[in-house]
Amino acid sequence: RAMELPPSHFPAARAAAVAMGYLRYLRGGPGRGLHLRELRRARRQDIDDVGHKYYLELELEDVLDKDRTVSCTAEVLYPLGSKTSAPDVQVTVQGELRSTEEADKEFYNRIRSLEKELVAENIPDSHGNVPPELEPIHRLAWVASGYLIWQNSTENTKFHLAQVKHVKQVKRSDEDLQFDYVLLLHEMVSQ
Amino acid sequence: HQVLRIKTKNEEEVKQLQLLESLEHLQLDFWINPSAPALPVDVRIPAASVQSVKAFLESQGIEYSILIEDLQDVLDKEKQDMAESAQRQRSSSFDFGAYHTLEDINEELDHLASEYSFVKKIQIGESYEKRPLYVLKFSTGGSNRPAIWLDAGIHSREWVTQASALWIANKIASDYGTDASITSLLDKMDLFLLPVANPDGFVYTHTSNRMWRKTRSKIPGSICVGVDPNRNWDAGFGGPGASNKPCSDSYHGPSANSEVEVKSVVDFIKNHGNFKAFLTLHSYSQLLMYPYGYKCTRPNDYAELESLGRAAASSIRSLYGTTFQVGTICKTIYQASGGSIDWSYDNGIKYSFAFELRDTGRYGFLLPANQIIPAAKETWLGLKRIMEHVRDKSS
Repeated sequence: RAMELPPSHFPAARAAAVAMGYLRYLRGGPGRGLHLRELRRARRQDIDDVGHKYYLELELEDVLDKDRTVSCTAEVLYPLGSKTSAPDVQVTVQGELRSTEEADKEFYNRIRSLEKELVAENIPDSHGNVPPELEPIHRLAWVASGYLIWQNSTENTKFHLAQVKHVKQVKRSDEDLQFDYVLLLHEMVSQ
Repeated sequence: HQVLRIKTKNEEEVKQLQLLESLEHLQLDFWINPSAPALPVDVRIPAASVQSVKAFLESQGIEYSILIEDLQDVLDKEKQDMAESAQRQRSSSFDFGAYHTLEDINEELDHLASEYSFVKKIQIGESYEKRPLYVLKFSTGGSNRPAIWLDAGIHSREWVTQASALWIANKIASDYGTDASITSLLDKMDLFLLPVANPDGFVYTHTSNRMWRKTRSKIPGSICVGVDPNRNWDAGFGGPGASNKPCSDSYHGPSANSEVEVKSVVDFIKNHGNFKAFLTLHSYSQLLMYPYGYKCTRPNDYAELESLGRAAASSIRSLYGTTFQVGTICKTIYQASGGSIDWSYDNGIKYSFAFELRDTGRYGFLLPANQIIPAAKETWLGLKRIMEHVRDKSS
């Protein structure tokens, strides 16, 4: 009862963008940036009184572990009629993702060792550049935008993180790190 | 060879590193020598010694990280970059692999026109803020030959398109006479290339807002500025997929052709009367689309356009493996009214295609400059494939 969709066309790609947002929110971090290499397969099922459910097979890439291919399946359910409810997403990653323990520790230590709280803007800059020392901050932005994209997507939207407009580290009395981001999201369909 | 960065915690560890430094058979090359605990130590280690040095550091509990995974890779890349840069210096002072201001782009258009007898810079109109709309005309003779239209940058933030258009202009000009395909193309047809279709928006992306998309026209009764120039054409104008709200990024404008940037192109093409192809560059998403956008029904020439689109996408993919999806605008992305290729198609220009260039969202509009030339090269192969078909059908 599920209809096969051309993975190359936007209806499937929109659902994939939601799945990626959710996945980045769950599994991303300063030491892990997950990107979609290819949407291999997509199917859609219209469930009466519930909504539209998309079944996806995705091929991902961990930017810090580029040589490997990560396969993943996802289910994205857009609830019927609801404009305020986030899509329901289930994601299963095949195999283990590369450990980020070392990278996370390095990031943590580096930020802790800064004399002043970190402040940065326009990542990437107008020319697409990201200074190497800001790459983990950029990846963290993908985590945050992943959450926003998942929460705010409908069947008719396709969000991407366009740019980190501003990021500011918030001073804390404990040992946690906190960053406030201002992000620009690009919504494709309404452009 | 690997380069490690070693972070010593105390004097004891510094001494250990100095000991390591003295072992000549390891052939270690310290870029920063061990001196004090607070300072990092960078050392290049020949492949043969990497494992034993790491084992030593780990056994002593000395922290290190890999600064350069493979030094040879870095050196090779640098050599390549320098050779390419030297090559660029030799052939032209214009760096096609970088993003430029409007002034620099216009200067390069002048340069191309002065260097090649069959290239002329013409002005087809003025933008809202009175900037000239410059088109490069490639013509080796004849009188009003069948022509191909190519534009870029109608949406100003899509910087890879204006940049690619410059590279493509230079490629066509410099290859005429040596490349068989380009030569036979320009011997039969004229090419008109508008590299910056929205100069006001383009300047605005440089001076104020990198993410600006629309024109910069003032809208009566609104505090918001600008019209989406790709919703302003007279094709299903005002229909689905365009907004009637001035503050929207896809605002269609008060009426079709209200934007002088659009009207100038429409008038030019109508007055010319002999265009056979209309090609337009956008970014991003890696798509190759044909009409329609304003309605979801197939154009009459669906079979031919789909087939040609696939052939062009195949050519694009042959270079770096970049995949472009092919289809009608409506089926591939979304219904969108008032678009340029719908207008051109409904006005008798059969070969109407819209390209969305790199990438698929990782950098989006902010595509790193080092991808300009690869993007331009692969896009050119797709355009060329289409142009060859048009040439063969027009003669």
